[in-house]
Amino acid sequence: MLTLDGVQVNFGGVQALKCASFSIAEGESIGLVGPNGAGKTTLFNVISGVVRPTAGRLDFRGTSLLKLPEWKRARLGIGRSFQIPRPFGHCTVRENLLVAQRFGAGKKDPGRIDEILDILNLRDKADRDATTELALTEHKALEVGKALATEPSLLLLDEVLAGLETSGKRAFMERLAAVRDRYRLAMVIIEHDIATIAALCPRVLVLNFGQIIADGSPDAVFRDPEVIRSYTGETTLAEAS
Amino acid sequence: MSNALTNRILLAVALAVAYVGVPLVFGGNAYVLGLIVAALTIAGVAVAWALLGNLGGMVSFGHAAFFGVGSYTSAVLAMKLGVPVFAAMLLGGLGAAVSSIAMLPALRLRGPYFALAILAYAHIFQILATEMTPVTGGAGGLLSIPRFPTVLGFDFGDKTGGYLIVLTIVVLAALAYDAIRRSTWGLALKAMHDTEVATRVVGVPSTHLKAAMLVLSAFITGVVGAFNAHFISFLDPDYAFSSGWTVLPIAAAIFGGYRTVWGPVVGALAIYLVDQLLFKPILPHGHQMILGVLLCAMILFSPGGLMPALSRRPVKENRHAHA
Repeated sequence: MLTLDGVQVNFGGVQALKCASFSIAEGESIGLVGPNGAGKTTLFNVISGVVRPTAGRLDFRGTSLLKLPEWKRARLGIGRSFQIPRPFGHCTVRENLLVAQRFGAGKKDPGRIDEILDILNLRDKADRDATTELALTEHKALEVGKALATEPSLLLLDEVLAGLETSGKRAFMERLAAVRDRYRLAMVIIEHDIATIAALCPRVLVLNFGQIIADGSPDAVFRDPEVIRSYTGETTLAEAS
Repeated sequence: MSNALTNRILLAVALAVAYVGVPLVFGGNAYVLGLIVAALTIAGVAVAWALLGNLGGMVSFGHAAFFGVGSYTSAVLAMKLGVPVFAAMLLGGLGAAVSSIAMLPALRLRGPYFALAILAYAHIFQILATEMTPVTGGAGGLLSIPRFPTVLGFDFGDKTGGYLIVLTIVVLAALAYDAIRRSTWGLALKAMHDTEVATRVVGVPSTHLKAAMLVLSAFITGVVGAFNAHFISFLDPDYAFSSGWTVLPIAAAIFGGYRTVWGPVVGALAIYLVDQLLFKPILPHGHQMILGVLLCAMILFSPGGLMPALSRRPVKENRHAHA
Protein backbone atom coordinates (compact mmCIF):
# COMPACT_ATOMS: atom_id res chain seq x y z
CA MET A 1 0.00 0.00 0.00
CA LEU A 2 2.61 2.55 1.12
CA THR A 3 6.29 2.22 0.37
CA LEU A 4 9.03 4.51 1.61
CA ASP A 5 12.43 4.08 0.06
CA GLY A 6 15.46 5.97 1.35
CA VAL A 7 13.43 8.89 2.64
CA GLN A 8 15.57 11.62 4.10
CA VAL A 9 14.58 14.95 5.67
CA ASN A 10 17.02 17.70 6.54
CA PHE A 11 16.11 20.80 8.53
CA GLY A 12 19.14 22.98 7.86
CA GLY A 13 22.06 21.00 9.25
CA VAL A 14 19.86 18.59 11.22
CA GLN A 15 18.95 15.24 9.69
CA ALA A 16 15.48 14.56 11.06
CA LEU A 17 15.06 11.38 8.98
CA LYS A 18 17.93 9.28 7.64
CA CYS A 19 17.22 6.92 4.79
CA ALA A 20 13.91 5.60 6.12
CA SER A 21 12.70 2.57 4.17
CA PHE A 22 9.70 0.37 4.93
CA SER A 23 6.33 -0.73 3.55
CA ILE A 24 2.84 -0.86 4.95
CA ALA A 25 0.40 -3.48 3.72
CA GLU A 26 -3.38 -3.00 3.29
CA GLY A 27 -5.15 -3.30 6.65
CA GLU A 28 -1.93 -3.55 8.64
CA SER A 29 -1.60 -1.94 12.10
CA ILE A 30 1.82 -0.64 12.99
CA GLY A 31 3.09 0.98 16.17
CA LEU A 32 5.70 3.67 15.67
CA VAL A 33 7.82 4.26 18.76
CA GLY A 34 11.02 6.04 19.66
CA PRO A 35 12.41 8.59 22.10
CA ASN A 36 11.42 12.24 21.87
CA GLY A 37 13.00 13.87 18.83
CA ALA A 38 13.47 10.54 17.05
CA GLY A 39 11.62 11.75 13.94
CA LYS A 40 8.24 10.06 14.40
CA THR A 41 6.10 13.12 13.72
CA THR A 42 8.44 14.14 10.89
CA LEU A 43 7.75 10.76 9.30
CA PHE A 44 3.99 11.42 9.52
CA ASN A 45 4.53 14.90 8.11
CA VAL A 46 6.41 13.43 5.15
CA ILE A 47 3.73 10.82 4.42
CA SER A 48 0.88 13.32 4.72
CA GLY A 49 2.70 15.99 2.71
CA VAL A 50 3.18 18.60 5.42
CA VAL A 51 6.97 18.28 4.97
CA ARG A 52 8.73 17.55 1.67
CA PRO A 53 11.54 15.00 1.90
CA THR A 54 15.06 16.06 0.94
CA ALA A 55 15.61 12.71 -0.80
CA GLY A 56 13.92 9.36 -1.28
CA ARG A 57 10.78 7.88 -2.79
CA LEU A 58 7.20 7.56 -1.47
CA ASP A 59 4.58 5.53 -3.31
CA PHE A 60 0.98 5.02 -2.26
CA ARG A 61 -0.90 2.32 -4.15
CA GLY A 62 1.40 2.79 -7.11
CA THR A 63 1.23 6.60 -7.14
CA SER A 64 4.27 8.67 -6.26
CA LEU A 65 3.41 11.10 -3.48
CA LEU A 66 6.45 13.31 -3.90
CA LYS A 67 4.81 16.11 -5.90
CA LEU A 68 1.35 15.87 -4.36
CA PRO A 69 0.18 18.51 -1.85
CA GLU A 70 -1.42 17.48 1.43
CA TRP A 71 -5.00 17.83 0.19
CA LYS A 72 -4.44 15.55 -2.79
CA ARG A 73 -2.87 12.91 -0.52
CA ALA A 74 -5.91 13.14 1.75
CA ARG A 75 -8.15 12.51 -1.27
CA LEU A 76 -6.01 9.51 -2.21
CA GLY A 77 -6.82 7.96 1.16
CA ILE A 78 -4.17 9.12 3.64
CA GLY A 79 -5.74 10.46 6.83
CA ARG A 80 -3.88 11.78 9.82
CA SER A 81 -4.34 13.30 13.26
CA PHE A 82 -2.12 15.84 14.97
CA GLN A 83 -0.41 15.33 18.30
CA ILE A 84 -1.84 18.64 19.54
CA PRO A 85 -5.50 18.63 18.47
CA ARG A 86 -6.33 21.20 15.81
CA PRO A 87 -10.10 21.64 15.71
CA PHE A 88 -11.46 24.03 13.10
CA GLY A 89 -12.06 27.43 14.64
CA HIS A 90 -15.62 28.35 15.60
CA CYS A 91 -17.04 25.26 13.93
CA THR A 92 -19.14 22.65 15.68
CA VAL A 93 -17.97 19.05 16.00
CA ARG A 94 -20.33 18.03 13.19
CA GLU A 95 -19.10 20.90 10.97
CA ASN A 96 -15.52 19.72 11.50
CA LEU A 97 -16.51 16.30 10.18
CA LEU A 98 -18.59 17.79 7.35
CA VAL A 99 -15.63 19.78 6.03
CA ALA A 100 -13.41 16.70 6.15
CA GLN A 101 -16.01 14.53 4.43
CA ARG A 102 -16.98 17.06 1.76
CA PHE A 103 -13.41 17.80 0.72
CA GLY A 104 -11.56 14.61 1.67
CA ALA A 105 -14.13 12.04 0.57
CA GLY A 106 -15.81 14.32 -1.98
CA LYS A 107 -19.35 13.65 -0.79
CA LYS A 108 -22.04 14.55 1.72
CA ASP A 109 -23.14 11.54 3.72
CA PRO A 110 -24.82 12.51 7.02
CA GLY A 111 -25.29 8.82 7.87
CA ARG A 112 -21.57 8.21 7.81
CA ILE A 113 -20.99 11.34 9.95
CA ASP A 114 -23.46 10.02 12.54
CA GLU A 115 -21.75 6.64 12.46
CA ILE A 116 -18.36 8.26 13.16
CA LEU A 117 -19.87 10.35 15.96
CA ASP A 118 -21.30 7.18 17.52
CA ILE A 119 -18.11 5.14 17.26
CA LEU A 120 -16.06 7.92 18.82
CA ASN A 121 -18.69 8.67 21.47
CA LEU A 122 -19.14 12.23 20.22
CA ARG A 123 -22.85 12.16 19.34
CA ASP A 124 -23.79 14.22 22.42
CA LYS A 125 -21.21 16.85 21.48
CA ALA A 126 -22.07 17.07 17.80
CA ASP A 127 -23.41 20.62 18.00
CA ARG A 128 -20.86 21.95 20.48
CA ASP A 129 -18.11 24.41 19.50
CA ALA A 130 -15.13 22.18 18.79
CA THR A 131 -12.62 24.82 19.88
CA THR A 132 -14.00 25.78 23.26
CA GLU A 133 -16.47 23.19 24.48
CA LEU A 134 -14.64 19.85 24.38
CA ALA A 135 -12.57 17.96 26.93
CA LEU A 136 -9.15 16.56 25.99
CA THR A 137 -10.47 13.04 25.23
CA GLU A 138 -13.12 14.56 22.97
CA HIS A 139 -10.55 16.72 21.20
CA LYS A 140 -8.48 13.60 20.56
CA ALA A 141 -11.56 11.72 19.34
CA LEU A 142 -12.41 14.58 16.99
CA GLU A 143 -8.90 14.41 15.52
CA VAL A 144 -9.52 10.76 14.68
CA GLY A 145 -13.04 11.58 13.48
CA LYS A 146 -11.86 14.24 11.02
CA ALA A 147 -9.39 11.80 9.53
CA LEU A 148 -12.07 9.08 9.35
CA ALA A 149 -14.52 11.42 7.63
CA THR A 150 -12.12 11.63 4.67
CA GLU A 151 -12.64 7.86 4.24
CA PRO A 152 -8.97 6.97 4.39
CA SER A 153 -7.42 3.62 3.71
CA LEU A 154 -4.35 4.55 5.74
CA LEU A 155 -4.76 6.32 9.09
CA LEU A 156 -1.80 8.00 10.79
CA LEU A 157 -2.45 8.65 14.49
CA ASP A 158 0.01 10.88 16.30
CA GLU A 159 -0.11 10.25 20.07
CA VAL A 160 -3.90 10.24 20.24
CA LEU A 161 -3.70 8.52 23.61
CA ALA A 162 -1.18 10.89 25.18
CA GLY A 163 -2.41 12.76 28.23
CA LEU A 164 -5.41 10.49 28.83
CA GLU A 165 -5.85 8.84 32.23
CA THR A 166 -5.82 5.04 32.39
CA SER A 167 -9.55 4.33 32.09
CA GLY A 168 -9.95 6.93 29.34
CA LYS A 169 -6.99 5.45 27.50
CA ARG A 170 -8.48 1.96 27.69
CA ALA A 171 -11.82 3.14 26.34
CA PHE A 172 -10.09 5.08 23.56
CA MET A 173 -8.06 2.02 22.60
CA GLU A 174 -11.26 0.02 22.26
CA ARG A 175 -12.68 2.72 19.99
CA LEU A 176 -9.56 2.67 17.84
CA ALA A 177 -9.77 -1.11 17.52
CA ALA A 178 -13.45 -0.76 16.56
CA VAL A 179 -12.57 1.87 13.94
CA ARG A 180 -9.84 -0.32 12.48
CA ASP A 181 -12.06 -3.39 12.30
CA ARG A 182 -15.13 -1.59 10.98
CA TYR A 183 -13.40 0.32 8.19
CA ARG A 184 -10.60 -2.23 7.56
CA LEU A 185 -7.96 0.46 7.69
CA ALA A 186 -4.22 0.31 7.74
CA MET A 187 -3.11 2.26 10.82
CA VAL A 188 0.18 3.65 12.04
CA ILE A 189 0.08 4.77 15.66
CA ILE A 190 2.71 6.86 17.40
CA GLU A 191 2.55 5.99 21.09
CA HIS A 192 4.95 5.89 24.02
CA ASP A 193 3.02 3.31 26.03
CA ILE A 194 4.46 -0.09 25.09
CA ALA A 195 1.50 -2.05 26.47
CA THR A 196 -0.89 -0.03 24.32
CA ILE A 197 1.19 -0.60 21.22
CA ALA A 198 1.49 -4.32 21.95
CA ALA A 199 -2.29 -4.58 22.39
CA LEU A 200 -3.15 -2.77 19.14
CA CYS A 201 -0.32 -3.52 16.75
CA PRO A 202 1.19 -6.83 15.66
CA ARG A 203 4.12 -4.92 14.13
CA VAL A 204 6.32 -2.21 15.65
CA LEU A 205 8.79 0.19 14.04
CA VAL A 206 11.36 1.92 16.24
CA LEU A 207 12.91 5.22 15.24
CA ASN A 208 15.98 6.72 16.88
CA PHE A 209 17.84 9.82 15.70
CA GLY A 210 15.89 9.68 12.44
CA GLN A 211 16.79 6.05 11.70
CA ILE A 212 14.66 2.93 11.81
CA ILE A 213 16.53 0.71 14.24
CA ALA A 214 14.00 -2.11 14.62
CA ASP A 215 11.02 -3.53 12.74
CA GLY A 216 9.14 -6.60 13.95
CA SER A 217 6.69 -8.02 16.45
CA PRO A 218 6.29 -6.12 19.75
CA ASP A 219 7.81 -9.03 21.65
CA ALA A 220 10.93 -9.15 19.49
CA VAL A 221 11.34 -5.38 19.18
CA PHE A 222 11.07 -4.58 22.86
CA ARG A 223 13.74 -7.19 23.69
CA ASP A 224 16.12 -5.80 21.06
CA PRO A 225 19.25 -4.48 22.87
CA GLU A 226 19.54 -1.52 20.49
CA VAL A 227 15.95 -0.50 21.20
CA ILE A 228 16.50 -0.78 24.95
CA ARG A 229 19.71 1.25 24.64
CA SER A 230 17.90 3.96 22.64
CA TYR A 231 15.38 4.36 25.44
CA THR A 232 17.49 3.78 28.56
CA GLY A 233 21.11 4.06 27.56
CA GLU A 234 21.60 0.46 28.84
CA THR A 235 21.84 -2.73 26.78
CA THR A 236 19.50 -4.95 28.83
CA LEU A 237 16.30 -4.35 30.72
CA ALA A 238 17.99 -5.77 33.84
CA GLU A 239 20.76 -3.16 33.66
CA ALA A 240 18.23 -0.45 32.95
CA SER A 241 16.21 -1.34 36.02
CA MET B 1 -41.22 33.07 14.88
CA SER B 2 -37.80 31.65 14.02
CA ASN B 3 -34.75 33.89 13.70
CA ALA B 4 -34.32 32.90 10.06
CA LEU B 5 -37.89 33.90 9.21
CA THR B 6 -37.57 37.18 11.12
CA ASN B 7 -34.35 37.96 9.26
CA ARG B 8 -35.99 37.24 5.89
CA ILE B 9 -38.92 39.50 6.67
CA LEU B 10 -36.56 42.26 7.82
CA LEU B 11 -34.52 41.88 4.64
CA ALA B 12 -37.65 42.01 2.45
CA VAL B 13 -38.82 45.19 4.22
CA ALA B 14 -35.38 46.78 3.93
CA LEU B 15 -35.20 45.96 0.21
CA ALA B 16 -38.71 47.34 -0.38
CA VAL B 17 -37.74 50.57 1.39
CA ALA B 18 -34.47 50.74 -0.54
CA TYR B 19 -35.98 50.09 -3.99
CA VAL B 20 -39.25 51.99 -3.62
CA GLY B 21 -39.14 54.20 -0.54
CA VAL B 22 -35.81 55.91 -1.06
CA PRO B 23 -36.43 56.92 -4.73
CA LEU B 24 -39.90 58.18 -3.79
CA VAL B 25 -38.68 60.22 -0.82
CA PHE B 26 -35.33 61.45 -2.11
CA GLY B 27 -35.83 61.26 -5.87
CA GLY B 28 -36.22 65.03 -6.03
CA ASN B 29 -33.24 65.75 -3.80
CA ALA B 30 -30.19 65.27 -5.98
CA TYR B 31 -27.79 66.20 -3.15
CA VAL B 32 -29.03 63.60 -0.66
CA LEU B 33 -29.46 60.94 -3.36
CA GLY B 34 -25.90 61.65 -4.51
CA LEU B 35 -24.67 61.10 -0.96
CA ILE B 36 -26.58 57.82 -0.72
CA VAL B 37 -25.03 56.68 -4.02
CA ALA B 38 -21.57 57.54 -2.70
CA ALA B 39 -22.30 55.65 0.54
CA LEU B 40 -23.47 52.61 -1.44
CA THR B 41 -20.35 52.79 -3.60
CA ILE B 42 -18.29 52.54 -0.41
CA ALA B 43 -20.66 49.80 0.80
CA GLY B 44 -20.00 47.72 -2.33
CA VAL B 45 -16.25 47.82 -1.75
CA ALA B 46 -16.79 47.21 1.96
CA VAL B 47 -18.77 44.02 1.23
CA ALA B 48 -16.02 42.83 -1.13
CA TRP B 49 -13.36 43.65 1.48
CA ALA B 50 -15.29 41.86 4.22
CA LEU B 51 -15.78 38.81 1.99
CA LEU B 52 -12.02 38.53 1.59
CA GLY B 53 -11.33 39.32 5.25
CA ASN B 54 -14.01 37.22 6.84
CA LEU B 55 -14.10 34.24 4.49
CA GLY B 56 -10.58 34.34 3.07
CA GLY B 57 -8.98 35.43 6.35
CA MET B 58 -6.95 38.08 4.54
CA VAL B 59 -6.70 41.75 5.49
CA SER B 60 -6.29 43.79 2.32
CA PHE B 61 -4.97 47.34 2.14
CA GLY B 62 -5.07 47.23 -1.65
CA HIS B 63 -8.71 47.28 -2.73
CA ALA B 64 -8.15 50.69 -4.29
CA ALA B 65 -6.22 48.78 -7.00
CA PHE B 66 -9.26 46.68 -7.94
CA PHE B 67 -11.49 49.75 -7.80
CA GLY B 68 -9.14 51.66 -10.08
CA VAL B 69 -8.55 48.81 -12.53
CA GLY B 70 -12.29 48.17 -12.78
CA SER B 71 -13.08 51.82 -13.38
CA TYR B 72 -10.36 52.31 -16.03
CA THR B 73 -11.12 49.02 -17.81
CA SER B 74 -14.79 49.87 -18.12
CA ALA B 75 -14.22 53.50 -19.08
CA VAL B 76 -11.61 52.67 -21.74
CA LEU B 77 -13.73 49.86 -23.23
CA ALA B 78 -16.78 52.12 -23.45
CA MET B 79 -14.89 55.16 -24.77
CA LYS B 80 -12.40 53.61 -27.15
CA LEU B 81 -14.09 50.40 -28.28
CA GLY B 82 -17.70 51.46 -28.01
CA VAL B 83 -18.64 48.60 -25.68
CA PRO B 84 -22.15 49.14 -24.22
CA VAL B 85 -21.87 50.63 -20.72
CA PHE B 86 -23.52 47.78 -18.79
CA ALA B 87 -21.34 45.20 -20.56
CA ALA B 88 -18.27 47.38 -20.01
CA MET B 89 -19.10 47.54 -16.30
CA LEU B 90 -19.06 43.73 -16.04
CA LEU B 91 -15.85 43.63 -18.07
CA GLY B 92 -14.43 46.18 -15.62
CA GLY B 93 -15.09 43.66 -12.86
CA LEU B 94 -13.44 41.01 -15.01
CA GLY B 95 -10.42 43.27 -15.52
CA ALA B 96 -10.08 43.73 -11.77
CA ALA B 97 -10.40 39.97 -11.28
CA VAL B 98 -7.65 39.38 -13.84
CA SER B 99 -5.45 41.99 -12.13
CA SER B 100 -5.90 40.13 -8.85
CA ILE B 101 -4.30 37.06 -10.44
CA ALA B 102 -1.04 39.02 -10.37
CA MET B 103 -1.47 39.15 -6.61
CA LEU B 104 -1.86 35.39 -6.15
CA PRO B 105 1.79 34.87 -5.14
CA ALA B 106 1.03 37.10 -2.13
CA LEU B 107 -1.35 34.39 -0.85
CA ARG B 108 1.70 32.60 0.49
CA LEU B 109 2.05 35.48 2.93
CA ARG B 110 0.04 35.87 6.09
CA GLY B 111 -1.17 38.71 8.32
CA PRO B 112 0.64 42.04 7.95
CA TYR B 113 2.96 40.69 5.24
CA PHE B 114 0.00 39.96 2.95
CA ALA B 115 -1.51 43.37 3.76
CA LEU B 116 1.72 45.17 2.88
CA ALA B 117 2.29 43.15 -0.30
CA ILE B 118 -1.18 43.92 -1.61
CA LEU B 119 -0.70 47.61 -0.75
CA ALA B 120 2.46 47.59 -2.89
CA TYR B 121 0.56 45.93 -5.76
CA ALA B 122 -2.06 48.67 -5.57
CA HIS B 123 0.62 51.31 -5.98
CA ILE B 124 1.99 49.53 -9.07
CA PHE B 125 -1.40 49.75 -10.79
CA GLN B 126 -1.67 53.46 -10.00
CA ILE B 127 1.73 54.05 -11.62
CA LEU B 128 0.67 52.02 -14.68
CA ALA B 129 -2.50 54.11 -15.03
CA THR B 130 -0.42 57.29 -14.85
CA GLU B 131 2.23 56.15 -17.33
CA MET B 132 0.05 54.45 -19.95
CA THR B 133 -1.04 57.81 -21.32
CA PRO B 134 -2.28 56.65 -24.77
CA VAL B 135 -4.79 54.32 -23.13
CA THR B 136 -5.63 55.97 -19.82
CA GLY B 137 -5.03 59.62 -20.61
CA GLY B 138 -2.17 59.68 -18.07
CA ALA B 139 -2.27 62.07 -15.14
CA GLY B 140 -4.86 64.18 -16.99
CA GLY B 141 -7.32 61.31 -16.77
CA LEU B 142 -10.40 60.57 -18.84
CA LEU B 143 -13.22 63.05 -19.38
CA SER B 144 -16.75 62.51 -20.65
CA ILE B 145 -16.91 58.83 -19.84
CA PRO B 146 -20.23 57.51 -21.24
CA ARG B 147 -23.03 57.56 -18.72
CA PHE B 148 -25.55 54.79 -18.18
CA PRO B 149 -28.12 54.59 -21.00
CA THR B 150 -31.87 54.88 -21.03
CA VAL B 151 -33.46 51.42 -21.05
CA LEU B 152 -37.17 50.95 -21.84
CA GLY B 153 -37.76 54.61 -21.21
CA PHE B 154 -36.02 54.65 -17.82
CA ASP B 155 -32.95 56.87 -17.64
CA PHE B 156 -30.23 55.05 -15.74
CA GLY B 157 -27.92 57.99 -16.33
CA ASP B 158 -29.56 60.23 -13.73
CA LYS B 159 -29.17 60.13 -9.94
CA THR B 160 -32.13 57.80 -9.35
CA GLY B 161 -30.98 55.43 -12.09
CA GLY B 162 -27.46 55.39 -10.67
CA TYR B 163 -28.85 54.74 -7.22
CA LEU B 164 -30.82 51.71 -8.42
CA ILE B 165 -27.77 50.33 -10.24
CA VAL B 166 -25.38 50.63 -7.31
CA LEU B 167 -28.05 49.35 -4.92
CA THR B 168 -28.48 46.26 -7.10
CA ILE B 169 -24.71 45.71 -7.23
CA VAL B 170 -24.46 45.93 -3.43
CA VAL B 171 -27.47 43.64 -2.86
CA LEU B 172 -26.14 41.02 -5.31
CA ALA B 173 -22.67 41.20 -3.74
CA ALA B 174 -24.10 40.73 -0.24
CA LEU B 175 -26.30 37.82 -1.39
CA ALA B 176 -23.29 36.17 -3.06
CA TYR B 177 -21.28 36.66 0.14
CA ASP B 178 -24.10 35.09 2.16
CA ALA B 179 -24.48 32.14 -0.23
CA ILE B 180 -20.76 31.35 -0.06
CA ARG B 181 -20.71 31.76 3.71
CA ARG B 182 -23.51 29.22 4.09
CA SER B 183 -21.97 26.71 1.67
CA THR B 184 -19.46 23.97 2.46
CA TRP B 185 -16.86 26.26 0.87
CA GLY B 186 -17.73 28.88 3.47
CA LEU B 187 -17.41 26.30 6.20
CA ALA B 188 -14.00 25.25 4.92
CA LEU B 189 -12.88 28.88 4.66
CA LYS B 190 -13.98 29.47 8.23
CA ALA B 191 -12.18 26.31 9.31
CA MET B 192 -8.97 27.53 7.69
CA HIS B 193 -8.63 30.66 9.79
CA ASP B 194 -6.92 29.17 12.82
CA THR B 195 -5.28 26.12 11.37
CA GLU B 196 -4.80 25.98 7.64
CA VAL B 197 -2.58 22.89 7.63
CA ALA B 198 -5.23 20.91 9.52
CA THR B 199 -7.72 21.68 6.75
CA ARG B 200 -5.27 20.73 4.01
CA VAL B 201 -4.70 17.26 5.48
CA VAL B 202 -8.44 16.57 5.27
CA GLY B 203 -8.49 17.47 1.58
CA VAL B 204 -9.23 21.21 1.56
CA PRO B 205 -7.29 22.98 -1.22
CA SER B 206 -6.83 26.02 1.00
CA THR B 207 -4.76 28.11 -1.40
CA HIS B 208 -7.30 27.56 -4.20
CA LEU B 209 -10.16 28.66 -1.93
CA LYS B 210 -8.29 31.76 -0.81
CA ALA B 211 -7.46 32.57 -4.42
CA ALA B 212 -11.13 32.22 -5.37
CA MET B 213 -12.10 34.66 -2.61
CA LEU B 214 -9.44 37.15 -3.74
CA VAL B 215 -10.62 36.99 -7.37
CA LEU B 216 -14.29 37.30 -6.41
CA SER B 217 -13.57 40.20 -4.05
CA ALA B 218 -11.59 41.91 -6.82
CA PHE B 219 -14.44 41.32 -9.31
CA ILE B 220 -17.04 42.91 -7.04
CA THR B 221 -14.76 45.86 -6.28
CA GLY B 222 -14.02 46.26 -9.99
CA VAL B 223 -17.73 46.36 -10.87
CA VAL B 224 -18.29 49.01 -8.20
CA GLY B 225 -15.33 51.00 -9.53
CA ALA B 226 -16.73 50.69 -13.05
CA PHE B 227 -20.13 51.88 -11.88
CA ASN B 228 -18.52 54.89 -10.24
CA ALA B 229 -16.61 55.78 -13.41
CA HIS B 230 -19.79 55.86 -15.50
CA PHE B 231 -21.76 57.60 -12.76
CA ILE B 232 -19.36 60.52 -12.25
CA SER B 233 -18.14 60.44 -15.87
CA PHE B 234 -14.55 61.35 -14.98
CA LEU B 235 -11.39 59.50 -13.89
CA ASP B 236 -7.80 60.28 -13.06
CA PRO B 237 -5.23 57.97 -11.44
CA ASP B 238 -5.08 59.84 -8.13
CA TYR B 239 -8.84 59.62 -7.76
CA ALA B 240 -9.41 56.10 -9.13
CA PHE B 241 -6.61 54.56 -7.07
CA SER B 242 -7.04 56.83 -4.05
CA SER B 243 -6.30 55.19 -0.70
CA GLY B 244 -9.74 56.45 0.30
CA TRP B 245 -11.23 53.54 -1.68
CA THR B 246 -9.43 51.25 0.74
CA VAL B 247 -9.63 53.14 4.02
CA LEU B 248 -13.31 54.16 3.96
CA PRO B 249 -14.60 50.66 3.10
CA ILE B 250 -12.41 49.13 5.84
CA ALA B 251 -13.73 51.66 8.36
CA ALA B 252 -17.30 50.99 7.18
CA ALA B 253 -16.91 47.21 7.36
CA ILE B 254 -15.40 47.31 10.83
CA PHE B 255 -17.93 49.86 12.07
CA GLY B 256 -20.89 47.86 10.77
CA GLY B 257 -19.45 44.44 11.58
CA TYR B 258 -17.33 42.76 8.95
CA ARG B 259 -18.22 39.28 10.17
CA THR B 260 -21.84 39.84 9.23
CA VAL B 261 -23.19 40.04 5.68
CA TRP B 262 -25.07 43.34 5.99
CA GLY B 263 -22.75 44.95 8.54
CA PRO B 264 -20.47 46.54 5.89
CA VAL B 265 -23.51 48.01 4.11
CA VAL B 266 -25.02 49.41 7.31
CA GLY B 267 -21.56 50.64 8.35
CA ALA B 268 -20.99 52.47 5.06
CA LEU B 269 -24.40 54.12 5.13
CA ALA B 270 -23.99 55.07 8.80
CA ILE B 271 -20.52 56.54 8.71
CA TYR B 272 -20.77 58.30 5.34
CA LEU B 273 -24.25 59.74 5.68
CA VAL B 274 -23.82 60.73 9.34
CA ASP B 275 -20.47 62.30 8.49
CA GLN B 276 -21.77 64.24 5.50
CA LEU B 277 -25.19 65.24 6.81
CA LEU B 278 -24.42 65.75 10.50
CA PHE B 279 -20.74 66.27 11.26
CA LYS B 280 -19.67 68.16 8.14
CA PRO B 281 -22.10 71.11 8.64
CA ILE B 282 -20.95 71.39 12.27
CA LEU B 283 -17.23 71.01 11.58
CA PRO B 284 -16.52 71.72 7.89
CA HIS B 285 -12.77 71.16 8.33
CA GLY B 286 -11.71 68.05 10.20
CA HIS B 287 -15.13 66.45 10.52
CA GLN B 288 -13.51 63.08 9.84
CA MET B 289 -11.95 63.30 13.31
CA ILE B 290 -15.36 62.65 14.83
CA LEU B 291 -15.67 59.55 12.65
CA GLY B 292 -12.28 58.38 13.92
CA VAL B 293 -13.41 58.77 17.52
CA LEU B 294 -16.66 56.92 16.77
CA LEU B 295 -14.77 54.07 15.11
CA CYS B 296 -12.41 53.78 18.10
CA ALA B 297 -15.39 53.74 20.47
CA MET B 298 -17.07 51.02 18.40
CA ILE B 299 -13.94 48.86 18.42
CA LEU B 300 -13.57 49.31 22.18
CA PHE B 301 -17.18 48.77 23.21
CA SER B 302 -18.47 46.47 20.47
CA PRO B 303 -15.54 44.85 18.65
CA GLY B 304 -17.95 42.87 16.48
CA GLY B 305 -19.38 46.12 15.07
CA LEU B 306 -22.77 47.77 14.89
CA MET B 307 -24.85 44.84 13.59
CA PRO B 308 -23.98 42.40 16.42
CA ALA B 309 -24.47 45.23 18.91
CA LEU B 310 -27.93 45.99 17.49
CA SER B 311 -28.94 42.34 17.54
CA ARG B 312 -27.61 42.11 21.15
CA ARG B 313 -25.87 38.87 20.32
CA PRO B 314 -22.13 38.88 20.88
CA VAL B 315 -20.10 37.50 17.94
CA LYS B 316 -18.76 34.53 19.93
CA GLU B 317 -22.22 33.31 20.84
CA ASN B 318 -23.65 33.91 17.39
CA ARG B 319 -21.33 31.59 15.59
CA HIS B 320 -23.93 30.08 13.28
CA ALA B 321 -24.80 33.45 11.88
CA HIS B 322 -21.21 34.38 11.19
CA ALA B 323 -18.71 32.96 8.81
